[in-house]
Amino acid sequence: MAELTHGFKIDREKCKGCLACMRVCPTHAIRVKDGKARYKPDHCIDCGVCLTACPWNSIGATTWSVEDLSRFKFKVAVPCPVLFGQFPTGITPANIVDGLLTLGFDAVWDYSVEIDLVARAIQEYVEKWKGATPLISISCPVVVRLVQVSYPRMADQLIPIQLPREIAGREVKRRYSADLGLNRDDIAAIYITPCQAKTISILQPAEGAVSHLDGTLGITDVYNAVLAYASLQKDETSKSGHRPIIRNSTFLRLHASEGLGHLLPVHRYLRVTGLANTIHVFNDIEKGKLRNVDFLEAYSCWSGCSGGNLTVANVYVTRSKFHSLARNLPEMDAETQTEVERRYSIEDFTLDAPIRPRPIKGRTAGTLKEKVQMVQLAESTLAGLPGLNCGLCGAPTCKELARDVSIGEAAKQDCILLSKNRLQELQRTYLRETE
Amino acid sequence: MTEELLRRTFELRGRDFENAGEKSTEVTSILKELDIDPDVILRVGVVTFEAEMNVVMYADKAILSFILTDDEIAIEVADQGPGIPNIELAMQPGYSTASDEMREMGFGYGMGLPNIKKNSDEFFLESQVGKGTKVYCMIRLNSNG
Ligand SMILES: Nc1ncnc2c1ncn2[C@@H]1O[C@H](COP(=O)(O)OP(=O)(O)OP(=O)(O)O)[C@@H](O)[C@H]1O
Ligand SMILES: [Mg+2]
Repeated sequence: MAELTHGFKIDREKCKGCLACMRVCPTHAIRVKDGKARYKPDHCIDCGVCLTACPWNSIGATTWSVEDLSRFKFKVAVPCPVLFGQFPTGITPANIVDGLLTLGFDAVWDYSVEIDLVARAIQEYVEKWKGATPLISISCPVVVRLVQVSYPRMADQLIPIQLPREIAGREVKRRYSADLGLNRDDIAAIYITPCQAKTISILQPAEGAVSHLDGTLGITDVYNAVLAYASLQKDETSKSGHRPIIRNSTFLRLHASEGLGHLLPVHRYLRVTGLANTIHVFNDIEKGKLRNVDFLEAYSCWSGCSGGNLTVANVYVTRSKFHSLARNLPEMDAETQTEVERRYSIEDFTLDAPIRPRPIKGRTAGTLKEKVQMVQLAESTLAGLPGLNCGLCGAPTCKELARDVSIGEAAKQDCILLSKNRLQELQRTYLRETE
Repeated sequence: MTEELLRRTFELRGRDFENAGEKSTEVTSILKELDIDPDVILRVGVVTFEAEMNVVMYADKAILSFILTDDEIAIEVADQGPGIPNIELAMQPGYSTASDEMREMGFGYGMGLPNIKKNSDEFFLESQVGKGTKVYCMIRLNSNG
């Protein structure tokens, strides 16, 4: 099994070992040893909660910057619909497109056609599916990781259909290379992303899969420049003559709050937001307690993608903006419809390779009997721990320490209540500066 | 020779919809920790969950025992409750005496017992009206388990 790659790195110089990241990590993937935090790579699902929690700015993520654009001859922005809900009233989608063009992009791609194409492909897949339900959307990369890591036997239920943004990347390269006579490698499809997790899924796709997108810029990276430009153009129509973007409300509704649900009317659909809620629902699925659902979309952020960690505007303002934009648009327009009809029969939407489970490395070594003994050791260790979950041992909970002890990655004496040495060690590590 | 490696017993209470499914989760999380084959875990999960739900829906209280040996997993759920008057009928897919509320919650399709049987390598059901019901299931570990 290949190693999991991760988008986050802890800068050991900056890390103060304060435990903030360890305490918030939803999958207990962080330990603090010798005053420094570090990941247990097989537990991490790239959700980025640690990055937000770190008061010392010591957690960095895989990134890409405007300068990276210069490598390409022709640069196309593929904005997530969330971008269009970020700006103040009066700034129209056309203004935003023009703002992106002044930033250095040569074109801006509206992927409503791809959303519809993918919705159709999913619909067909759901209808034919004979296996366990619900089928689970792969739209949120954190949810995909969560399934791979913590719910390995549900990996079959992840829908192996490419995402609209990926199909858009593929089409951007095909279209512009044909139209402009350029090599595909000279054309960059850059996703304007609402969150770090999608950047990671594009720059370091899971399991060696290949992304059709070449890079990403966060909404936060383009916001100021676009706002400055667009503010000058307020209420005016496009200066650039770029073809109109957002011709129907489907594009906006994807992230307004509705996901793909409204495009799949015949299926029993469920949408879950927030990592804790998602875990709750996945536990129910695993038990067989969740019945009557064919298709499920789950998002790690409680507010869906419009509240991603690289967005700027208040989530509710974004939603209200979507609402007013969508009100003036038809649900579907003739041009999009024709394009969908034309492309659906000639393109393939399936993922190159199915998404495989990545279960946490358990007690892999040894016979079943030895593994049972390890589980029993964890249980007896836990019984001797205080249950305070103070984290001073370097594990987030007493239960996690007990588990670490059973696999030989920690000692019971790491508990401060069980060892005076541990207290002294912590004093040496954390009070050094004041001495 | 089969050697018993681990035994756990849990108490289940009837009508406790709040905690329904927790014991089966406990059982499956132990199996996950032990790196048991995911297909086996899935089958054990279905069997314990359905048996647990039947206690919650129909009985007063029960003891769930889970026994792991080096080549199989045994699950026994022995309840105190009304018992099943006609076992043959209860085993028929689709037969159910569940109330409307239970159906609202997505249960009462009469599929629990048939599913338990389908997912077990060995299955026994004993019941005495007015006393209680005992479900015994055995699931073999795969060679790579
Ligand atoms: N432990 C039990 N005690 C008494 N009656 C039971 C018990 N288990 C099952 N039964 C009876 O057998 C019937 C069939 O059980 P089964 O589990 O197959 O279906 P169900 O519980 O009605 O529906 P489902 O399991 O699909 O939610 C039940 O409706 C009930 O009348
Ligand atoms: Mg039942």
